[in-house]
Amino acid sequence: MSALAWFIPEYLLLAGAFFALFAELIVRREGVAAAAGALFASLAALSALAIGVRPAAFGGVLELDQVSVTVRVVLATLSAVYLLWLAGRGMAPERSREAAAFVLLATLGGMLMVAARDLMVLFVSIELATMPAYLLMGYRRDDEHTLEGALKYFLLSMTTSLVMLYGFSFLFGIAGSTSFAAIAEAPGAGLLGAFSAVFVFVGLLAKMSAAPFHYWAPDAYAGASPASVAFVSTVPKLAGAAVMVRLAVILVPGVPALPTVFAVASLASMLLGNLAAFPQSDVRRLMAYSGVAHTGYMLLALSAGSAAGNAAAIYYTIAYAAPSMAIMLLAAEEGTAVDDFAGLAARRPAAAWTSVVLLLSLVGVPPMVGMFGKLVLFTAALDAGRLALVLVAVAMSVVSAGYYFRVLRAAFFVGGRAERVPRVLPAAVAVALLTAATLALGVFTGPLVRWLTAAF
Amino acid sequence: MTLIQPVGALSFMALSVVLFSLGLYGALSRKSTVMVLMSLELMANAININLVALSRFSAPAEMTGQFFAVFSMVVSAAEIGLGLALVLALYRQRKTVEIDAMQELKG
Repeated sequence: MSALAWFIPEYLLLAGAFFALFAELIVRREGVAAAAGALFASLAALSALAIGVRPAAFGGVLELDQVSVTVRVVLATLSAVYLLWLAGRGMAPERSREAAAFVLLATLGGMLMVAARDLMVLFVSIELATMPAYLLMGYRRDDEHTLEGALKYFLLSMTTSLVMLYGFSFLFGIAGSTSFAAIAEAPGAGLLGAFSAVFVFVGLLAKMSAAPFHYWAPDAYAGASPASVAFVSTVPKLAGAAVMVRLAVILVPGVPALPTVFAVASLASMLLGNLAAFPQSDVRRLMAYSGVAHTGYMLLALSAGSAAGNAAAIYYTIAYAAPSMAIMLLAAEEGTAVDDFAGLAARRPAAAWTSVVLLLSLVGVPPMVGMFGKLVLFTAALDAGRLALVLVAVAMSVVSAGYYFRVLRAAFFVGGRAERVPRVLPAAVAVALLTAATLALGVFTGPLVRWLTAAF
Repeated sequence: MTLIQPVGALSFMALSVVLFSLGLYGALSRKSTVMVLMSLELMANAININLVALSRFSAPAEMTGQFFAVFSMVVSAAEIGLGLALVLALYRQRKTVEIDAMQELKG
């Protein structure tokens, strides 16, 4: 099989994106574009799984190792599930066909990001993943809050992209080549190397909404429609985590101070994210701060600087993405204020119990996947001697139960409106799939983490 | 002796640092979103100068930096187009492009 055939999942996503733009001209029904997109994305996930691990291709610019394979399968699956939901509910009040195309393009960018082994390819695919995200965040063109949030997101994201690219240009200057292999082997570049690594990671940390570069996230999320947030806060974040791990692996040997930088950012994100989430009354804002906190946990694994830590960082981000997307999808159905969840148990018992599973997983209660994610993460961090940070992380997980339970308290113990949103089968299936993954993925923790560790 | 002396990599890098710092300062301090976008453009150009200069002085035969700069120009043109579209859409709603007017979302 030629190397061209290893990237069939990417071709499928690209074809799906173009098809989605025109699908509703062929079949005149709202939701056809998203349904077709879901089909293409699930085919992409299956073919990515079938293709599996492959050596470097196209002169070494792309490579499918264990991490790339895992992350691209998960990315395609998440976007397929998301599009399934979109096929049922749409992006009211706007039409949803462009959204389906943007989702597929962003997923394509994410899949190339995790396979990239060259700065140039990495940069172009990061931009391919983020540009559709700006459009999704500003999807309601006539809502000024949406536009304000999207513009804030855009300005910060572009500034950090440029800071990161400036770092890339120095890395290229030091190594004389843009390939990761050459950069990893470049002689210790001293101050310039440290300088460029800091630029690269400041850009990436801001994109991952890690403290102290997180302040765009709550505003951008609170302006956008919750259905957009469900995608933007999960899929690009997972790809970003994989890229951070990859760059950490090649840059840490030359810049030994990097794990300390990660540890500091982790501490700041865990404290700030969890404490600032408390007073929020908007689910989008609450999830934005909770996203900051979860990035903090991910960075804790990265600061271990070991193969186990790197694998744990990726596994944890996967374990965070599924429940977080499902919660935002429920918020898109029920309403964005915590009070909109009031009376959920009475009018939609299934949805209420679903949110119990999802939120407990985010807290890290067994037997949900979030607990297994935290377990591998804390183990890796303890092996690297980061006892104090692990204690902070455990304490903050307990604290986080406080604000997640506020949503559950509203759902179960506060009376709310009685009329329920109409039942839509594809949307219900999508949320059920994410919940099932949250419940069952923990079983595969051992093999999956071992498989991921083999890549480092 | 010629009037034009050969210029080293360091001079280009210094130029790029100055341009990048000016751009970053502008992006963080300007009150108008259009001016912020122009500052971002300045940062993008500083990066392009850096890429081309480093390519010329570290690995001139492969021209990697030149190619990288072309990619970076295309991407930043697309981004600025997108940013201006957002600014325009917001201007239609609010009749202003000032950053200080963006206080609706806070927290």
